[in-house]
Amino acid sequence: MKLKSSQTVAGFTLSEMLVSVSLSSIILAAAITSGVSLQKSFSAVDNYFTTHMQQIRIIDYLNRDVKRGLIVTTSVDLQTVTMSVPKYVIQTGDPEAIANPDLVGTPRTPTVAYTSSGWQINYSPSTTTVVYSISGSSILRTENGVVTTIASSTDQLVPTTTDVELANTEYSNTSVTFMPIFTSSGSVASRSGTNLYATAYLRNKRRG
Amino acid sequence: MRTSTQSIERGNVLLCVLCTILVVSVIGGNVLLNCMTRYNVASSQVRSWKESLDAAETGGDIAYAETRKTILDPTHAFSGWTYSGGVYNNSPVTYGQDSLSTSAKVDLFYYDANGNPWYRIRTKGTAPVNGLKRVGMDDRMGPNTRGDSLLRKIDFNYDHFVASYGPNGDGLNKALVPVSQPQVTRRVELIAAPITPFEAAIKAGGTFYGLGSAAYVDSYRSTVGAYDASVKTNPSDPRYVDSRSGTVEINSSVATIMGNIYGNVYTNGGTVTKNTSSISGIIDNNVPFSLPPYYMPSTSSWSYVSNPSTVGGNTTINPPAAGTPQSPNYYLITSYSTNGNLTVNPYSSNGTPQETYVAVRVNGNVGSSTGQGASITIANNVHLEVYFDGNFGAKAQNIVNNSGFAGNLQFYGLSPTDPNVQQTIDLNSGGGSSAGFAAVFYAPSANFTINGGPDISGAIVCKNFYVNGNVHWHYDRELDKAGDAVDYRLISYVEDIR
Repeated sequence: MKLKSSQTVAGFTLSEMLVSVSLSSIILAAAITSGVSLQKSFSAVDNYFTTHMQQIRIIDYLNRDVKRGLIVTTSVDLQTVTMSVPKYVIQTGDPEAIANPDLVGTPRTPTVAYTSSGWQINYSPSTTTVVYSISGSSILRTENGVVTTIASSTDQLVPTTTDVELANTEYSNTSVTFMPIFTSSGSVASRSGTNLYATAYLRNKRRG
Repeated sequence: MRTSTQSIERGNVLLCVLCTILVVSVIGGNVLLNCMTRYNVASSQVRSWKESLDAAETGGDIAYAETRKTILDPTHAFSGWTYSGGVYNNSPVTYGQDSLSTSAKVDLFYYDANGNPWYRIRTKGTAPVNGLKRVGMDDRMGPNTRGDSLLRKIDFNYDHFVASYGPNGDGLNKALVPVSQPQVTRRVELIAAPITPFEAAIKAGGTFYGLGSAAYVDSYRSTVGAYDASVKTNPSDPRYVDSRSGTVEINSSVATIMGNIYGNVYTNGGTVTKNTSSISGIIDNNVPFSLPPYYMPSTSSWSYVSNPSTVGGNTTINPPAAGTPQSPNYYLITSYSTNGNLTVNPYSSNGTPQETYVAVRVNGNVGSSTGQGASITIANNVHLEVYFDGNFGAKAQNIVNNSGFAGNLQFYGLSPTDPNVQQTIDLNSGGGSSAGFAAVFYAPSANFTINGGPDISGAIVCKNFYVNGNVHWHYDRELDKAGDAVDYRLISYVEDIR
């Protein structure tokens, strides 16, 4: 029977306990700190790429409308874009739909007109107005008064668009930036590093 | 009994290791999940969405090329396409590493006043979404907002467009059509409009010399009022806006420009500079263009009239019917004597002249550059098109267009089949006569020469242009919609974003 001897071996001195507790505390603190940092980094990177995908979405939305647009104008601060696009599909409330509700959702047949600036193709006497704007942390697309949030981020997404008018066409240069959350606030470099550029030409002859 | 103590110690270590692996695995898995979502969106869905538009526009290019062939190569236009119900259809074309697919439908939806057809091109392009059928999209913006699914319409199992709107988007024949793999399809509609030949006052595919030092080129719009020489220098006149479109286009660097140009001047590598007030508009020395050879258009829908078949001495055409721009009275002239005098009268109904459309095809020369040359007179209400495959020679004052509208008298020089043959158009006023004419010439293979200083209302498209007299050239802006189509351009683009 060597139980007594075993109990003696299993004991710790006060010094050993202090050292071990100190070391354990340090290791635990390091682990917690690392874990928190890892989580923050993961969150930041995840947020970065989420916002990046929204950059792409803003560009894709804008360019789709610019390509089919008839005229594009930008505000002085370059953050509001207004464009006219053809009314291709008959929608509820349109004169044709009022006369014949079955026509809702059908494409219009184009008409040809000659104006002082040449030939024009018209799908409807009027056009659809599409506006891109910023509201708080959201980017809004408004089509004939109907608002759609196309991007929303706390990373301060800022799209700016410049339209350049040529002899009979037009193109728009758009850049979208945001402020990543893991950089020091206010750093110009951190915002400019996120810049995403795109250029889209009107496929139609510019009007106005 | 020390064995149990040692076992407990090993168990603690194992537990710690397992917990650590679990935590790391959870973090790693979370990272992987998010990475895959982003990768899936960026690499597959966004790419496919963009490529499907590329495919749709490629289909538009294919259809546009066929549309152009109706002018430039009629025998091969829409070759291999099917035609049903007034619509041309082509089989889906697959191309590219990602197996993009495109198809198109083309229909003639409008005839303009010249009888030129306008085409509507509807295309769709499809791009596969590679990888597994992941329905997850990057929609995370907020609790009640959606992102990509509003923009990118992906068909995971069924073609959503056919199911919701029918194959033609008109609500008819809706059906659940399964797709073999996830895909994105985008649809665009284009309008191909005819390019009419007279979009500028003077268009020279080769060299340019002229005009005289006291000559000028200006413009007006006949639908607003008769030509008035004072308008171009009077900004307060409401017609002023139409008075400075006497544009000169030169597809070479050889551009000796004299006189006053009330319009723009374009060259291809020329050195024209605006150092005087002789050019009112802009100068662009980097505007190349091409003038393809011009051949006889199809006469299949024209109403052939057998008599007269020659023009010798005084010859008069009295059409048996008014005709239309699409189906004019068509005369085939086998010879036109050097001093031939042709007069064309309108068709009358109950004593009232009708708007009458006449086309004359001349095999060989019209008139001569020496002597009296040809004489051609058209009465009011007559719209005459003269096609000739030889040379043209006349005194300017012997071209008489009583309507005063240049678009009513159109001359087309058919390009020689032998490239060594140089076609010419000589308009010799003879003795400096200021009498002129109202007519247009489209002869991309001909060298055009005017001696003297006639007063001309019209437009010219030629190869080399040479004028040494003080010509007064007035371009009627209404001419930019007159004449037979010489090519097509796309003037409208709309995407069906449903």
